[in-house]
Parts: sequence; C-alpha cells; structure tokens
Amino acid sequence: MPRLTKRRFLQLAGLSISHRIVGQALPPASRSDRNKVILVTFGGGVRYSETFAPEGLHNIPRLVAIRPQGHFFASCINSGVLSHFNSTASIVTGNWQRVDDFGFQPPAGATLFEQFRKQTGTGPLDAWTVATNKSFALMGAGSDRAFGQPYGANVVLPKQLLLEAVQDVVKRGKGGVADREAVLERLEGVLSEGYEGVGWTIFQAGRKLDQHVRETLLRGLIEYINGPEAPTSGDELTFFIAREIMREFAPRLLLVNFWDMDVAHWGSYSLYLNAITRTDRLTGMLWDEVEANPAYRGRTTMLVLPELGRDGDRNAANGFLNHRSGDPSCRNTWLLAMGAGVPAGATDRPIHHVDVAATAAELLGVHFPGAAGQPLRELLL
Amino acid sequence: MPATPRVSPALQSMLDKGLLDRLPASFSAFCFDQMKEWDLLFPAERSYFERLFALLDRAAPPSVEGMFRRLRDVEERMGVNAKTFPKSRFSLEQVDFLNRNPLYAEWRAAVANVFTRIDPELDSEILRNGRPRLVMVVAPAQLAADPSGMWTRLEQRGRRIALDPPEDPAAYLPQLGATAIPQLYAAKHADPYSAWVIQAGQSLAPDHPGVVHYSYDALAPYRKRLMREVQSIVEAKEVAGPRQLSDRLKQLRILASEGAPANDPILAEFARAIFLSGNGTLLINNTFVEWASMQAVRRARPSVAMIGFGIRNKVKPFSSLLIYEDQDATNPIPSQADVLGSYVDLEIFYQYIWQEFEKYAEYRSNTVYAFVADGMEEMLVIAPPDFSLPSGPVKLPLVAQHLKEWVGV
Repeated sequence: MPRLTKRRFLQLAGLSISHRIVGQALPPASRSDRNKVILVTFGGGVRYSETFAPEGLHNIPRLVAIRPQGHFFASCINSGVLSHFNSTASIVTGNWQRVDDFGFQPPAGATLFEQFRKQTGTGPLDAWTVATNKSFALMGAGSDRAFGQPYGANVVLPKQLLLEAVQDVVKRGKGGVADREAVLERLEGVLSEGYEGVGWTIFQAGRKLDQHVRETLLRGLIEYINGPEAPTSGDELTFFIAREIMREFAPRLLLVNFWDMDVAHWGSYSLYLNAITRTDRLTGMLWDEVEANPAYRGRTTMLVLPELGRDGDRNAANGFLNHRSGDPSCRNTWLLAMGAGVPAGATDRPIHHVDVAATAAELLGVHFPGAAGQPLRELLL
Repeated sequence: MPATPRVSPALQSMLDKGLLDRLPASFSAFCFDQMKEWDLLFPAERSYFERLFALLDRAAPPSVEGMFRRLRDVEERMGVNAKTFPKSRFSLEQVDFLNRNPLYAEWRAAVANVFTRIDPELDSEILRNGRPRLVMVVAPAQLAADPSGMWTRLEQRGRRIALDPPEDPAAYLPQLGATAIPQLYAAKHADPYSAWVIQAGQSLAPDHPGVVHYSYDALAPYRKRLMREVQSIVEAKEVAGPRQLSDRLKQLRILASEGAPANDPILAEFARAIFLSGNGTLLINNTFVEWASMQAVRRARPSVAMIGFGIRNKVKPFSSLLIYEDQDATNPIPSQADVLGSYVDLEIFYQYIWQEFEKYAEYRSNTVYAFVADGMEEMLVIAPPDFSLPSGPVKLPLVAQHLKEWVGV
C-alpha cells in the first residue's frame, strides 16, 4: 500500500491544480448558461421546533440570514413512509415511495436524475448524489426499465468510504484513529483498491472517469483529515466532496444529503442540536460556493428541506430520538428555495415532498410525467 | 410455533376459548408476540394481559366487535391476512409491512381508538388499587448549573424547594434518602421489582437484593462484550441486514460474571433489551439511564424509582463512524467530560421521564417526583396536593423523612 508522504500529497495537490487549469481552458459542456439545481436535504430528520419555530431559530443562523432573499414554504409535508431512504426517494422521484427502508431496493419508477439526463442527453457528470447516509447507494436510479443506470446519477457515499478507512486503521491498533497518517494511508489504499465495494458507485457510463473522480475524492478527503479542527462529522466530509464535485464537474443537478443530525437516535439532545447547526453552516457554505463559483452563480436554484421531522416531545414514544410516530412534528417540515429567479417571499399553503422533483424538473427544462407532485408555481414565475 | 403462547392458567383458559382468534390479525399477532415469552415478562406486564383479556372475555361480543370494527376495516383494506400476519408472529417483517403501507396512519389511528376505549376500563381497576409512589431524579454534582437553570421544562408543574445542604458533599444524597428509601421499600414489600435504581455511575448502589439495580458503569463488562460481538457480527458479514441482525442480538445474554441482573432471567433479558434495542444506550451513559427508566415504567411499573444521571463524555474524533467500538480502546486521547452537553441533554430527559410516568394510571395523582441535583441548594417537587414540605431552606433529613412517610417506609 503506498504511503501518503508529504511529497505524494504535494504531487496530488499538483494534479488537482492542473485539473483546474485544464478545466478553465476547456470548459466542459455542462458549464453552460442553462439552469442548475441543487437539492439539499437535512437528512436524518429535524423538527420544526429546532429550526424555523421561534425557539429554534438560533440553531440555524445561516438559513435565517438567507431566508429573506429566498422563498420560504412554511409547510412542506412528508405524507409518505417516515424512513430515511423512502423519504429521500420520494423527494427525487416525485412519488411517495414504499420500498425497502434500508436501501436494499432502488426507488420505484424513475428518478429526477434519469428524467433529466434522458431528456436532455447530458452526460454522466451532470447528475450527482453525495450522501452521508450510507444506505443511499441505490438513490441515483429507479426501477423503471425505460430509464435505469445508464441515465442515473453518480452516487458518492463519503462517510462510508471514510468508515472503511477508519475501521481498518482501528483494527491495526497502535494509535488508533488518532494516527492521521495511518488514516490517510488507508484512505488512499481504499481509493486505489476499488471503491465500488465500499459504498459508492459510479455507473457504467462514468467509469472511464475513474482517475479524475478518484483524485477529486482523495483531495476532498485529504482536506478533510488535515482540516484545522479534528474532524468528527460525516457531513463535513460530504460537504467537501460535494464542493469538489461542483468545482471539478459543475453538474447541473446535485443532491446533497446531510445526515449528522440522525445522531438524535443516540439520545443526546445537545449532539442533535450541534448537528443541526453544523448542517446549517455547511448548507450556508454550499450556498457561498454557488455564489462564488462562476459555473453556478446566477443560474442555480437551491432547494433546502428536511427529509422528515422527528417525533414530538409529547405523547410520542421517545421524542426527538425517533421519527416513526407519524405525528405532526414528524411530518410537517419546511422548504427554503433560493437562487436564480426565486422571488423573495413566503408561502403558507401546504406543499409536499413529492413536489420537489416536479419543480426541479421544470427548472431544468424537462418534463416529469407520472409524478404525483406538482411544480411549485411560486418558483416558476 | 404453538397456536397460543404458554401463559398463566387464568389467561390460558381465556385464550383457549379462541379470544385471540376473534381479534383483528395485527392486534392479535402483536399480543401473541408480546406474550410469547411469558416467563420473561414482569408481573405488571402479565397482569396487564390478564386484565385486558378478562375485559374482552366478559364484554358482550357485539361490544368487542364494535371496539375493533374500525381496525378490522383498515386491516382489510391494507391487505392484512394470515399470510402477511401469521398468528404467531409480529416481527420486523410485520412492522415493515405496516410502516410501508399507504394506510399506515389510518391503522395507527384505529389502534389508538381501540386503546381509547379499553384504557379507561383497565385504568379504573388500577386506580382502585392505587398506592403512593416516589420517583427521584438525580442530576450529577459536576453539572455546575445555576438552580434557576435547572428543570426549566417542568418548573411550571411543581414547586422549587430551598434546601440546606450538609457540610459534607458526600452526605447529600444519603441524607436525602436516595440510597435508603429503595432498600427500605424492598425490605418492606414482598412484591419483587417494585423498587428500582437506574444510574449512570454507582453512587446510588443499593445494598439489598430486593432492589432492582442497573448501572451503566457497573455493566461495563457486558456492554463492552456486546460491542465486540456486534462489531464482529457486522464485520464478518454473517447477517444479511438489520432483520437478521436483530435475531442474532437476541442471543447475546448477560453472563453471571458481568453483573447481578444475570441472576434473574427477567432482569437479564431486560438488560439485553435495553442495550440492544435502545438507541445509543451502549454509547452514552445518560441515554442508557433514560431508556432504561422509560422501559422500567412501561414494563415493570416500579413503586419507588431512583434515577441517577451522570456526565457524558465528549464525542471523540471519528467516533460517530464507529458505533460499536469502545472509544477508549480505539482512541488514545483521554476522554473528556461534556458538562454543557450533558446539561442540555438532561433538561429534555427530565421532561420525557416525568411524561412517561404520568402516562400510566398507576402514577397519576399519587406520585411524588423529586428532581434533585447532587449538592444543590434547591430541588423541584411535583407532587399531589396531599404531599407537602415545609418552606424555607429545608434540611435534607427532613425531606427524606417526608418522602419515607409518603411511601410508607
């Protein structure tokens, strides 16, 4: 296994710079004037009471600051199965999903990614999913045989990648995860050994891009591990990887699934609140990237929403720890839209998670036949 | 698989009449599943099923039919049948079937409706036989919070009592009766499982075999073995998914060398269930305390409960990725206490615990809740009107005397 020396690190960084230079000289077709859509989910589930309710606003300072520029939908309802995979699959398919909760089945029907790629003829670099939830490997393409993997999104599960690396280091003992050199070494090893078996997939059409993708991911991981603070969060890694993908491939359609707040299942309210604030910060940083990146600035709509809520404090099995009661705290969430052409304002009328795919499709200039959801007219003026 | 579980003779005679068969399939399967390990149920659980089926047995058939009509109707539309809901099974497969069904919300509402009709009748029996109960919830001395910042979610429901703490900090909890009351109660009452101590550390450890005692710290050998075994199962990829993992976890019982609960099959199974079905209970001491308390209330209905929280450790780098690893073993950086995080965690847990007790008729209107913080000059008491404490800074032995009198020890 190659050791990640300082020389090797600089070599990789050099490769990274050269890619950027090449990227500027020969802009890929995806960096056009056409609209782009970024979907950001507060995955794992978050309650109104810890976000946009008056008592929760202090947990999400970035979204609160952005809200006046965007359009806020005060009632976005998840009427489907209150599990992670089904909730996010409902968002990307525009239909309430009732497939396996643990991600062993693809979403039923076609996803937004497939509709977009098939109708526009865009390549495999134009649709991505970056997810902290490691059960989302099949989120990029649905079960409709008229679509499927040839039109699906690249799916990257950075946390799972890191998990494999860290577990390997731990097993070897001596310093454990505090030995960052060892973690880095293992990370590079995992990437070199074949990543498809460790939690993420690059579909057939994208395989020739492996070298480029690998370097992009490795760079993200190196930045993550060498960050100014000890990294503790899968979502930080997801952010870094998503940002690298935006910088390197500038996809027109990107789903970013943050998931740290599912730490609520561990029963620590403070860790749950910390995760919400971290997700808020990372979402704000994604928005900063949109504003700063010429490939995105002025042509991107970002839709931010929780994939589901969590059980209410009263009359539920165990409050914020879970999300299966089906009570209003579990189902009633919000959606914040911002970016190109989004009129500032707020809407009280109830919308649904399945409306997101239909809306994104229209923003991208494609149709979404068969979607149960309706486009959000407030965003399509 | 037997057609009916092995239960008490009284209940068996009712089941023999085909009571389970006359109930909607999901309800019947759930009851069967809950009763199938009868020997591992607490007396309160057994009593509940006996009273439930006695109620259904003595009710006129049209009345029972009316009680379940809505549920039966939803079941039919959901596709609940003998194939999807075998009489003897209510596993993850059935839970999954319900969760993923478009009519799940309706089904939940129908089940809630059934209990809305059953509970008042069952509760009235409980209320007739009610007795004074005591719940003391202890925050750790290291919390370093101001009294005005404590129990903020509950303060409107009770009264803050000024205390006069002893000079010796170590005498605080003993003088309050936190260690003595469960022992005195267990010594006086023959019914097992009536006095409980659930704690993060060991400061409330009872010295009486009749007190049920679960300590996160004391159960460290069992916890660590569970984590090792789960990690090994996951790594060996011996199980295909969460459902199969759940079956494997049921076999990981506590050993005699790992703690006193091993000596009693009911308490041994309770320990296993707390660690392996409660989220985060293996990892976070206060989650263990909260979940064990919730389950103790739901299942055993203790008359006296001492619940002692601790300070949880800060999460170490990467630990969120290593759910079943021992943080101390995988990371040489010393563990650090998260005092502020613990404070935030506990403020919501006080509310959840109080709410959970109050859900059950056994506790409503006859329970004194004493929320105390080790060493603090104030406590919060939520109590029925007939319990009173003198005003002004009260010496702890006087508080203890009132609490003892309340529960009759």
